[in-house]
Formats: sequence, structure tokens, C-alpha cells
Amino acid sequence: MAGFARGKRRKLIGNVLTYVGLVTLFLVFVFPLLWIVGISLKTREQIFTNPPVFFWVPTFENYVQVLTQSDFLASFGNSLMVTTASVTLSLLIGIPASYTFARFRFPGQSVAMITLLIMRMLPPVAILLPLFVLFKAVGLSNTLASVIIAYTTFSLPLIVWVMKDYFANLPKELEEAAYIDGASRMLAFRKIVLPLARPGIVTAAILSLLLAWNDFIFAAILTNNATRTSPVLLASYAGGETGTNWGAITASGVLVVIPVIIFSMIVQKHLVQGLSSGTVK
Amino acid sequence: MAVQQLEPAGPYAATADEDVLFDRRNAWIKFQDRIFVPLTIVPTVVASLLVFGIPLAFSLLLSFQGWKIDSGLFAGQFVGFANYQDLFTDPLFRSSLMLTIGYTISTVLLELLFGLSVALLLNSRVPFVRVFRTALIIPMMITPIVAALTWKLLLDPSYGLINAILGTNTVWLGDPDLALIAVGIVNVWQNTPFVAILLLAGLQSLPSEPVEAAAVDGASPWQTFRHVTLPLLMPYIVVAVLLRTIFEFRSFENIWVMTGGGPANSTKLLSVYTFEASFLSFDLTLAAASSWVMLFIVLIFCVCFIFATKRKEIQ
Repeated sequence: MAGFARGKRRKLIGNVLTYVGLVTLFLVFVFPLLWIVGISLKTREQIFTNPPVFFWVPTFENYVQVLTQSDFLASFGNSLMVTTASVTLSLLIGIPASYTFARFRFPGQSVAMITLLIMRMLPPVAILLPLFVLFKAVGLSNTLASVIIAYTTFSLPLIVWVMKDYFANLPKELEEAAYIDGASRMLAFRKIVLPLARPGIVTAAILSLLLAWNDFIFAAILTNNATRTSPVLLASYAGGETGTNWGAITASGVLVVIPVIIFSMIVQKHLVQGLSSGTVK
Repeated sequence: MAVQQLEPAGPYAATADEDVLFDRRNAWIKFQDRIFVPLTIVPTVVASLLVFGIPLAFSLLLSFQGWKIDSGLFAGQFVGFANYQDLFTDPLFRSSLMLTIGYTISTVLLELLFGLSVALLLNSRVPFVRVFRTALIIPMMITPIVAALTWKLLLDPSYGLINAILGTNTVWLGDPDLALIAVGIVNVWQNTPFVAILLLAGLQSLPSEPVEAAAVDGASPWQTFRHVTLPLLMPYIVVAVLLRTIFEFRSFENIWVMTGGGPANSTKLLSVYTFEASFLSFDLTLAAASSWVMLFIVLIFCVCFIFATKRKEIQ
């Protein structure tokens, strides 16, 4: 009896310690962001008070200021356009390719898969200069098209590595039945495989969406003031001193990050698998 | 026995049919099937070649040439290894190489250490642990520029939260001894969750028998962890370390937003050096050479990664 009680107490202590750890975790990893959201809901006087204000009546004046500012809206629109276009294109190109990678054997296949892996790993800054020179040579510098082309291409490795595994795990029997009924490969792919692969496609789409939405370095070089995306605008706020406009900076940051958080939550189960290039199941 | 070959059985089985219309339809399907593989692969290959292959080849060429931005695309003069020589005799490049190595090793080690602790914590079976796991995903996914801005404001000397908590007036980003640590914190903060969730997936996929056997044999929790769990988790740790090394090596956004490489070049990592050579001083051939040094280093890690994951697939 005594041993049982001791075991129970030890378990209780263990649980308490675990929760202490978990709360610390929350404070370290999430509180900084909540603090930034807090700043975005403060007036200028409240932001620049020392020691900081912990309780106040939230104000939306920073959001009003940002959302009536043409700079922010233009860059947000550019980000939306670039992301939508590159996700659509990269899915159109990448998904049929992933299916072929999963179902067929053809010469150069493993070389192609490894090249795609390397494409994901190499530092963008090291490829930026020649890309910039080439886009300039074909008259695409400072256009949204150049960023869309870059994002589409650099999403392909993500899509192929996620979708290849997904297609490989689908049963072959349904396609084979379709072939026996006289369907072409294309028809079987469109009518049978794609509907089955919808959950995988959603994951691939969101990963490529996050790549385009979060990117800074390609857009910083390939766009100008008219075609810049939100991260480029945000980075320009940070140039040198952050000045006194913390309210606008934090409010724009929050607005840019909200879509990211929503989409990450949708795919959270597959996130790590996607980001580690399919090495972890 | 299931059908092994993926040859569509239909069209071939029906070729004996006499119906001409049916034959023509058959021929069309056969044609479609024949071009299916090239049709699906070619767009990916073309895009990768145009946006990745050709630029890479061009910068490799450039790194062995004397070239200016206003000369023709292929008007450069071959200069052998002169650009690489310039690069390695540039004290700024050498210091940025050393800084990058130090920065990468320390951030990856910290991410592994914290990531492993967080993974063990999240692996405990207490109610609501899933809520914390979900919350942990947020820093890892947010726009890097926003993460960098967040920490720039938190580390602000006069009104930042960090100084307010510590009761200090430290100028984190203006002090050459502290700036690299400060920009490193952002990436450790952003990427520890990735390592944690990857290792958590590893922990949850481990068989429970060895741990139970160790408990039966009277091993302490620490002994069990050290001699049973850790060796089993090793393949996941290797993947996490290699991936994080590859991605920390390219760190750019946090530095660009927070310090721009300063103060006194104390945060000028290779990525910043390459970026500045490319787009601020327009020393394009030097930038190409420095790009290829970066590419070469990352390629070595890619090869390690490919071998590490191959071996895991066999197990």
C-alpha cells in the first residue's frame, strides 16, 4: 500500500515537472510573438513606455493606419498574386512529374531525384546573381513574372519529394482496372489517381505556398518598388533603425503572418515530412 | 500474383479486334501512353534547367573569368583561378568563412540540444500535450523576415522586452561581441521546433520493447535514455543535424534585417558577403567565386545527407 502511494506521488511530481517544462516552452517559443501582437494593439505612448505596459485597452489604430496605406496594400497584393500563380504553376508541373517518378522507371530517374534534392538544399544567395543577370538579359527584371518563375521552379523539389511518396503508397489496382477497361494512362491519372491523392496535393500546395509567401531573398533582388512583395516591404522598415513606427511594423508583420499560421495548422501533421524532403515518414 | 508490369493491358489485348474505328482509337491511346512519361517529366526538367542549371553553369563560368555587368553575356576573358585567389586572400572573406563555420556549428548544436529536450518533453503522456505541440509549430513556420523583426524589437536597447526583463541596457545588436549571438538566437528560436518535431516523430516510431526490457532489468531512466533510446534515435539525429547544417549555413534574413552584417563586420557571414559582392559592390566574378565556394561546401553536406537517408531506407 505504501509503495503504491509513493509511486502515485512520484507520478504526480513528474507530471507537475512536465507541465512546468511545457509552460516554459510556451513562454520561450510563443510569448515573443504574442508580445509583438500586443505591441501592434498599443498606442505610440504605450509602446514607448519604460517599463513596458502589460495591461491596456487594445486599440486598432495601427491596423487602420497600415490598411489605409497604399505601400502595404500594394505589396500584399503582389504577394498574393505571386503566391497564387507560383503555387498553381508548380502543382501543374510538379504533380504529373511526381506521379511518373512514383510509377515508372526511366533512364536518369535517380539522377533527376537527387538533382531535385540538391536544388532544395543549395543556398539561394549563391544562385541569385546569375539568375538576376539572366532575367535581365531576357527583359524580365523587376517583373512579377520573374519571381513567379523562380518560386515555381524552387517549389518543384518540395512537391516532387512529397507527392512521389504519396503516389507510391496508393494502390495500383484501381489504375490497372482502368487500363483493362481501355483507359489511357492520362485518363486513369486524371480520373482515378488525382481524386485519391487530394490530401497529399493539399500538403504539397501549402508547402509551396509557404515557400513563395515567406521568401525574401529572391524578391529582394528580382523586384522593384512597384513589384515588391510583403517581406521586402517589411525588411525595408528595418533598414538601419526601426525608428518610432513600431505600431505599423508590428501590425503589418501580424497581417503577413496570419495566413501562414492558418495554413500551417492545416498541414501540421505532414509538415515535418515535407520539410525534411520525405526522409522521415 | 498481382500484375507486375504497369503496361496498360486494355489496348494491347484488343489489337486483335477487326473494328477499324476501334483500332484507330486504340492507336491514339497507345500514342498517348507512349508520350506519357516524357510529357509529365519534361516541364520539370526544362524549368530546373532554365532557372537552376543554366544559372549555375553560368556562374561557374563567370567564376573563372574577368567580366563586367555591361559586357555581353559571354564576353568574359578566361582568368583561371584568379578570382578564387582574390577571394581567399581577401581578409574579409576569410573572416566571414570562419564566422560562418562558428555560427553554423553553434546554432546547430543548440538546436539539437534544445530540440532533443523539447522532443522528450513533448513525448510524455500528459493531458493537453498536443496543444503545446501545435503551438510550437508557429515560430517554425512564420515568415523569417517577421521573426527577425520580432527579435529586433525585443532586443531594442531602450524599449525592448529582453532588456526590460533583465533590467539591463545592453545594446545587443550594436556590440561586435554580442551581435552574432543575438542574430543566432533568432534562428535557434525559429528552428528548434523543427528539430524537436522531427525527433519527436523519431521517438514515437521507436519500438517500445527495448525500453521496457531495460526497465525490467532495473536500468535508471537516465541509463535507459543514454544506452537504449539515444542509439535508436541516432538516424533521426543525423538527419536533423545535416538538414539544419545545410539550412543554417545559408542564414541570411535574420542577419540582413537585424544587423546588415555589422557592427564592424562581426555578423558578416558568407551569405551576406556573397550578397554584398553581387548586389552592392557589383564585383560579379568575385561573387560568382564566393557563390561556388558556398555551393561546394553545401554539396558535401548534400552527399552526406543522401548517404545518411539511403542507409535508413535499407534498415
